[in-house]
Amino acid sequence: MDIFVKKRIKAIKKGDQNAYADIVDLYKDKIYRLCYRMLGNRHEAEDAAQEVFIRAYVHIDTYNPKMKFSTWLYRIATNLAIDKIRKKKPDAYLDEEINGTDGLTMYAQLSSHEASPEETIESLELKETVQKAIEKLPEKYRSVIVLKYIEDLSLQEISEILELPLGTVKTRLHRGREALRKHLGHL
Amino acid sequence: MKCPEHIVKLMHDYLDGNTGPHEEKRLKEHLRQCSACAVHFHELTKTVAFIQYASHVPSPPDFTARVMANLPKEKKIVRVQR
Repeated sequence: MDIFVKKRIKAIKKGDQNAYADIVDLYKDKIYRLCYRMLGNRHEAEDAAQEVFIRAYVHIDTYNPKMKFSTWLYRIATNLAIDKIRKKKPDAYLDEEINGTDGLTMYAQLSSHEASPEETIESLELKETVQKAIEKLPEKYRSVIVLKYIEDLSLQEISEILELPLGTVKTRLHRGREALRKHLGHL
Repeated sequence: MKCPEHIVKLMHDYLDGNTGPHEEKRLKEHLRQCSACAVHFHELTKTVAFIQYASHVPSPPDFTARVMANLPKEKKIVRVQR
């Protein structure tokens, strides 16, 4: 697989645009999925994922072959998704407290819209609930959770993608998991 | 009851695959004795399973074709010149 990718990148750098189609095919599901879980809507996710691949192509000369290509691509994708989240109007995050409600968080509010046990059996319903919980995470936790559990990456690789120390990645992962547990753990 | 912080830390280390057999034994023993921690741990593992379960979303059809159609034209010119 690695040799396949390396050969394609060499060809692209030499100007063979068609070789890029193989790269897009190879990574499109991963990158689209990351964008979808980060942004929470298919239309925005598709635009973002398209932009990731165009950006990667335009900047292919800055790719350092010592790094895994997927790490580089994930880095572009997470940066772009975080940018887009910040540009959206600031939403109330799950771990933020609501004024005048003694320590009650958004989670407590959300619980009134919660699916009944019958509904949680419906996979679509559960997926939506999970997606909403992920979307309500502050972006620094969201990116770590998505890379770890949606993309199934190692903590080391996540630390390389986000350019953060391993300890920071662990702390964010722990906090993100705790925040999600409060909303999903009792389902 | 609030679970002891060092045990919660141990749970997360376990979920990250950062625990040795000795720590795993310590965690298991505690979970057997403390129902609050056992519930906490169960909720964490369930949460992880839910998130992983939500992960299947294939990219839209024609995705690659759209990327290829939107690539900047300059590089194509470079290729022709070669």
